[in-house]
Amino acid sequence: MSALLELHGLEVEIEGLPILRGVDLEVRPGEILGVVGETGAGKSMTARSILDLLPAKARLSFDTCTFGGEDFIPARARQLARGHRIGFVPQRPRGSLNPVFRVGKQIVDTLRRLRGMTRKEAKDEALSLLRSVRITDPERVYRSYPHELSGGMCQRVCIAIALAGEPELIIADEPTTGLDVTIQAEILKLLGEVIAEHNAAGMLITHDLGVVADVCDRVAVMYAGRVINLGTTVEIYREALHPYANQLVSIASSLDSGGTPQEIPGRVPNPGDDLAACAFAPRCFRAEDDCFQEEPPLVHIEGQMAFCHHPLTSEVVSA
Amino acid sequence: MTGPTDTLALRDLTKIFRIKTGTFRHADLRAVDDVSVSITPGRTLAVVGESGSGKTTLARLILRLIDPTQGSIRLEGTDITQMKGAALEDMRGRMQIVFQDPYDSLSPWQTVGRTVAEPLLLHENMSRQDATGPVAAMLERVGLSPEHARRYPHELSGGQAQRVGIARAMITNPALVVLDEPTSSLDMSVQSQILLLLQSLQEERNISYLFISHDLTVVRYIAHDLAVMYLGKVVESGPAAEVFASPRHPYTEALLKAAPRPDPHYKTDHVHLLGEQPSALDRAPGCPLFGRCPIAEDVCADMPQELVEIEAGHRVACWKRT
Ligand SMILES: Nc1ncnc2c1ncn2[C@@H]1O[C@H](COP(=O)(O)OP(=O)(O)OP(=O)(O)O)[C@@H](O)[C@H]1O
Ligand SMILES: Nc1ncnc2c1ncn2[C@@H]1O[C@H](COP(=O)(O)OP(=O)(O)OP(=O)(O)O)[C@@H](O)[C@H]1O
Ligand code: SF4
Ligand code: SF4
Ligand SMILES: [Mg+2]
Ligand SMILES: [Mg+2]
Repeated sequence: MSALLELHGLEVEIEGLPILRGVDLEVRPGEILGVVGETGAGKSMTARSILDLLPAKARLSFDTCTFGGEDFIPARARQLARGHRIGFVPQRPRGSLNPVFRVGKQIVDTLRRLRGMTRKEAKDEALSLLRSVRITDPERVYRSYPHELSGGMCQRVCIAIALAGEPELIIADEPTTGLDVTIQAEILKLLGEVIAEHNAAGMLITHDLGVVADVCDRVAVMYAGRVINLGTTVEIYREALHPYANQLVSIASSLDSGGTPQEIPGRVPNPGDDLAACAFAPRCFRAEDDCFQEEPPLVHIEGQMAFCHHPLTSEVVSA
Repeated sequence: MTGPTDTLALRDLTKIFRIKTGTFRHADLRAVDDVSVSITPGRTLAVVGESGSGKTTLARLILRLIDPTQGSIRLEGTDITQMKGAALEDMRGRMQIVFQDPYDSLSPWQTVGRTVAEPLLLHENMSRQDATGPVAAMLERVGLSPEHARRYPHELSGGQAQRVGIARAMITNPALVVLDEPTSSLDMSVQSQILLLLQSLQEERNISYLFISHDLTVVRYIAHDLAVMYLGKVVESGPAAEVFASPRHPYTEALLKAAPRPDPHYKTDHVHLLGEQPSALDRAPGCPLFGRCPIAEDVCADMPQELVEIEAGHRVACWKRT
């Protein structure tokens, strides 16, 4: 199946600091790809690269980058996003809404720009979008300024705006963190329906491994500016090849089943730190000398791929 | 329900927002409606509930960032409901907040070091010079490096920003820290670190936490007591373990069932509440869940529901469950 979005070797540098160090991933039509990983690993930066929303001082490069089978240049992708092929739910919903305009106007403006609606049509559609994201009192929220809404209400307004253009790809950065689980369940159901209906696709960035298990077909796990493990959700949760991914899942499962919180020892690397050949080596329970000296190879096995010298499996097929 | 030793005691706390519904029309939004809860030293009260149910408004009332419409707030025995000026500024060193959006705790123009030092400069008259040491130690404690002190908020990831917010809140040794979704922007490992950090700080300094969260796994772990909010009201409260084990209010039940689990083979129960949420404006006097409640009866529409104790400390506001 050909990918809707395909990225290879995506690198981003800010003031000489490497932020993304070669991100590879693809999103297939009809699927939701979960993106998880360490705080600061570059999940939001990956999304922002695709959307041309990087800070001005960022330098971007890549090997290949296609959308809908055509090459596209992330640094000029804003046309795609604005041309309603990619919808974006940013990580900081309140910060991304304009504080001086009522939220209704912000949705209406998007609808008029993307779908050429009249003011009246756009208002009706805006109210129905608000209803679809489970907003109580759509009329009131329509007339409200962002500071008059709760965090989760702003989040749902942003989801409504992202859906307004009927996009082919929805990139959602922590779209449900501010929502209670009953509304979260409904929003995730809505996202799934929208994606299935339009044969669109989703990229869902989140720390909530429960949400990933619930709705994602595949998962990409990021660490220190790279996707270090990618595979079907079932395989990654059953036994992730990469030790970091593996630990992440087991921390979540253990807390879920009533255990105490567990941490991965050692410090999260910051951009610009001297990294070992495998960035996870100083914290890895499986690390050996080769991990510090040689770039980890890409291994493929049963619906998973990972960059690792000593993946958690017996039968490794080298790529 | 409240005693002289409480760190925080709220009585009948209410916040009504006047909402413009038309050119000449207004309606009342009872964002926080008659809330009475208390927290003793060294304990954590978690507040969970529907998005928009008033949790952040409750936090802002307690911190005296907005004025209540009715009711009272006592901090360490002192009534701070009407407190103003210098007295209130001094009180602020005793209560701190970590916001839902980590960047809200941070000023875009200030370095991280300055942000973390600020409560010391404002409430403890410390000089900038003297603050450097404690700031560096606090940054280290929340898992950042002293190098981060020179950074600006936009140079931090979401999770790094949240750790700065926690460092800032803890630096004056407050009696009460209100944490509004403190871990939702953190990865599992850092989230665990923060939970353990919050716990060890609590044990060490006997701090009380008001812990607002949508993450029920985290709440189950960290909370001693639990209050469940729906449309401005506390609909169920009690010892956390007890409420998790035997939820009584239909909303609490729905909430616990809808929580996803980190297991692709587990199917989350998406069938919970009926229909549309009712309007938050000019509500009828009856139960806030009426219209969505699967076991509602006609009388629920007009009969106000008060919290009733069903077991030691476990209260529920539903006549069918008491
Ligand atoms: N404007 C900026 N200037 C310099 N560095 C930045 C800037 N924005 C982000 N960074 C750095 O880039 C790295 C990646 O950040 P990013 O926001 O993509 O992380 P993330 O994976 O989304 O983390 P989180 O889970 O905390 O949201 C982090 O180390 C962060 O400190
Ligand atoms: N300044 C304000 N003016 C008018 N209405 C407001 C204001 N602040 C909050 N509200 C309303 O009060 C209600 C409660 O909001 P609050 O932010 O306390 O909810 P919350 O429980 O924190 O929700 P979330 O879980 O989404 O963060 C909402 O309906 C909101 O729109
Ligand atoms: S390459 Fe080595 S250090 Fe890196 S994750 Fe694999 S085993 Fe661990
Ligand atoms: S009072 Fe009635 S509507 Fe409210 S929760 Fe109980 S049964 Fe349901
Ligand atoms: Mg991010
Ligand atoms: Mg809130």
